[in-house]
Amino acid sequence: QQIQEDLNKQLFDNLVSFLRRSHSEFQEKKTEWTCRMKSREIPTAALVLGVNVTDHDLTFRSLSEVLQNNITPYIALLEAKDCPGIKNLVQKLMGQLMNCYIDVDSLEDEDYVQVSQNRVRCSMTSLINWYKSVTKKTDSGTPNKKRTSSSRHWQSPPVVVIFKDMESFTTKVLQDFIVISSQHICELPLVLIFGIATSPMIIHSLLPHSVSSLLCIELFQSLSCKEHLSTVIDKLLLTAKFPFKLGEKVLQVLINIFLYHDFSVQNFIKGFQLCIVEHFYSQPLSVLCCQLVDLKKRVNSLSHHQCENIRRLPSFRRYVESQVSENQIALLTADDFLKETVQKLLEDLHVYHENYVSVLRCLHIFTSSLPKYPLGKQIRDLHCTCLENQVWETKEYESSLQLARMLNKSDLVTMLQQCVEIFLSSSGKEFDKTIEKLKEFLTQFQKLEAEAFQEQDVSVSSQKELQKKTDLYHLQKTLLELKESRRSKKLTKFEMLRFEVVDYIDSLVRNYLVPAHHKTLHEIAYFNTASVLRGHLNAAPRIALHTALNNPYCYLKNQALQSDGGSISNKAPDICIVYKLHLECGRLINLVDWLEAFSTVVMAVEGSNAEAASSDEVDDIIHARFIRAVSELELLGFIKPSKQKTDHVARLTWGGC
Amino acid sequence: LAKKNKEDKMSNLVEEYFEAHSSSKVLTSDRTLQKLQKRRLNQQTLHDLLKKAPLAYAAEIKELNQQHECLFSKWMLQLHLGFNVVLYGLGSKRDLLEKFRTSMLQDSIHLVVNGYFPSITVRSILNSITEEVLDHIGTFRSPLDQLEFIIKKFKEDSSLELYVLIHNLDSQMLRGERSQQILAQLSSLPNIYLIASVDHINAPLMWDQAKLSLYNWLWYETTTFSPYVEETSYENSLLVQQSGSLALSSLTHVLRSLTLNARGIFRLLAQYQLENKDNPSYPGLSFQDFYQQCREAFLVNSDLTLRAQLTEFKDHKLIRTKRGADGVEYLLIPVDDSTLTDFLEKEDEDA
Repeated sequence: QQIQEDLNKQLFDNLVSFLRRSHSEFQEKKTEWTCRMKSREIPTAALVLGVNVTDHDLTFRSLSEVLQNNITPYIALLEAKDCPGIKNLVQKLMGQLMNCYIDVDSLEDEDYVQVSQNRVRCSMTSLINWYKSVTKKTDSGTPNKKRTSSSRHWQSPPVVVIFKDMESFTTKVLQDFIVISSQHICELPLVLIFGIATSPMIIHSLLPHSVSSLLCIELFQSLSCKEHLSTVIDKLLLTAKFPFKLGEKVLQVLINIFLYHDFSVQNFIKGFQLCIVEHFYSQPLSVLCCQLVDLKKRVNSLSHHQCENIRRLPSFRRYVESQVSENQIALLTADDFLKETVQKLLEDLHVYHENYVSVLRCLHIFTSSLPKYPLGKQIRDLHCTCLENQVWETKEYESSLQLARMLNKSDLVTMLQQCVEIFLSSSGKEFDKTIEKLKEFLTQFQKLEAEAFQEQDVSVSSQKELQKKTDLYHLQKTLLELKESRRSKKLTKFEMLRFEVVDYIDSLVRNYLVPAHHKTLHEIAYFNTASVLRGHLNAAPRIALHTALNNPYCYLKNQALQSDGGSISNKAPDICIVYKLHLECGRLINLVDWLEAFSTVVMAVEGSNAEAASSDEVDDIIHARFIRAVSELELLGFIKPSKQKTDHVARLTWGGC
Repeated sequence: LAKKNKEDKMSNLVEEYFEAHSSSKVLTSDRTLQKLQKRRLNQQTLHDLLKKAPLAYAAEIKELNQQHECLFSKWMLQLHLGFNVVLYGLGSKRDLLEKFRTSMLQDSIHLVVNGYFPSITVRSILNSITEEVLDHIGTFRSPLDQLEFIIKKFKEDSSLELYVLIHNLDSQMLRGERSQQILAQLSSLPNIYLIASVDHINAPLMWDQAKLSLYNWLWYETTTFSPYVEETSYENSLLVQQSGSLALSSLTHVLRSLTLNARGIFRLLAQYQLENKDNPSYPGLSFQDFYQQCREAFLVNSDLTLRAQLTEFKDHKLIRTKRGADGVEYLLIPVDDSTLTDFLEKEDEDA
């Protein structure tokens, strides 16, 4: 758990810093802009932030921090849910501004009390009274404050009001606020910032012309969430820094949730967090999932029981089977020997990770420039395919290699240079040779360039020769020769070299991009149970209900319930019978018929059991059970009472579900 | 391929929908519960009867529950890590949550919210937090203020921890947008741990992205198959006798205490209403006509007595008056026709 928290913290720090960085540029632009706009009417910044509403919190928080640090303004953050009316809005705004003000200037306590009283009074008055007083207040209250503070600051700082979610504000409130504040703009320099999730069109559809003409709007675009995702993946998954890794299926699930459901980086992080929790909770050997520094200590402190656990791992079994028999025995019996081996293996795993990342990036450089992107445009696609299977066996890899063999030289050279850079930056030791090799390639290319010039000269001279000879027979002969030579043309040196390079990359891939689950002891670092994750994050309550009602055998392991699909089993729980009967109906269900059908089904069991009880009482009990089942279905939302016809209920679902 | 399959499935679903809703006319039999010669059960007898009926598959259900109980410690861990747990699946999750409460939360401050209770409101939840947990006496102007106060308190005092268990988060009273927003904000506090259960098939429709991220749910499927005893006891089902509407027994009770003539007047009105029951535009009997008929039957002798009589009926909610488009007063008995028929039959027997 300790490790886990550490990891979480690390992860979050990383993420936050990344987000900061990605926004900083954008924010700088904005701060500059707010400074500039100070003296005009109502300046407004519209931030187009994309539909991932959940991520915006961080953006705004860091934005207000940056603004605050640059001393310019007092900032109020307004959310739509706090401002159902203009009254609440102004109340909230005042409260926040005054708090801001106090934060910045750190006034004495007396003033604070006064301020809070002020606020209470402002909201206690009814709306009309408030409206009268607000003119007074905005006239005397806020501008006063502005004046007092502005005397202290070198310039009158603007007051920034951030509307976090523009779309969910009621138009009336927004319009009123804008109109009101525009009247006081000369005394109280306001700057509005709208956070827009959809598109800037929304401003014009929300605000009529008379209102939007009061604003001076400038648009700002934020980074798209996809870019965020790729950076996050880059930072979190494709580093050797974190010992914890995601398996292919899990990663796939997370990416799918992101791309097909919500575009929310926050949720992606949440999923990742959940993976960590699950992994460290369920896998007893996850203690070994740590930095290389702590590894030795932890391996040595393993108990016998944990050693047994290691022996039970399927990947370790494979490893043992590949060893010689003496080693096998030692591994399976002696704990100390096991610990040594495990340590070595884990170090191997670590090295593998380091190499993996850099080779992966290399491969990505090659494949991402190919037409049609056979292996995917993003590095995450490549990562997934590499994790899933041996990448060189896939058809896509085959085709991309073929395409790579047709690359032109300048591309190839730049790619090679990029690869060299990657290898240089990676800490893996094994790449010295690779770098050398790649550099050699590069120099060869440079040589080639020189040679190419010569070749060109040669060809030019041959053409000159051609022009010299005027004899028809000779001309024909030489032409034929030329043709032949072209047909059986030897590969140029460049082409040879190109093949060589591609082959070399291929070999690199084969050596280093072995999928993780072929490695020994990968279970320690990789979290691979995607079903758990999907169940917790992307649950389908309707499906669960459907299976439970349709096929109770899934849950209640009783032989009597095992049925062959479609038919209505009379031994199922009451609610299942009622549900199945209701599935056969149309839009409206007659309660009487339903009850009768139910009692026929149930009576079939009852009759076979015993006819001892008086039929009347049995009838009543069945009736009661029916009532219970129907009201349960109503609670679950499958039916609702209908007024269209007496004693009918309406079905709210359709089809088989 | 999978995508194509999905598309197929989608179009199938769409077709199924239109199939279900294509014909405005629905063919069902016209039988009603009234015709079924059986007394309506009331809440109490229903309860007694159900007690007699044995619960099927008790052993298997118990096993299921034990499986879920294994997760308790995991829930605790995840709650502490900032997630909130939501339970879904068929069957009442009340007992399970109750068990969780008794086994895990004995020593800590916790709040149980019975969402299925028909008069629960967010306000009462917030009140119980401020009054019981925070020991704050005083009223708030709006739930938003109250929420703000709670958030402030919890942020100030990091040692304050609160477990909130909500049975049926999707119940009628709590499913509103405002209440969900407030609950979501509550649950997003790091020191408040929320466990909730949902039952309705459309429960996830309550939440948009923002609320989902505030809630930070972890979904757990806990299908228990146990009956919804508490949950449905508040749901007035169609089949259970409704106490709100006028029932036959009360009708006869009131009329027994009236004079012979008064009973005759009511009878007359009832008969007239039954004769016109197939006419959907029947507005009721106008006062003038009614007076005429009563006079002919020697039930009243003046306008005034009839009015006095009708006032008495009105006080007992036996009749309702309605002004028509032409300004004339029409009289109606607000009882369904079948009860009225029963009533007349019984009267005939008595007579």
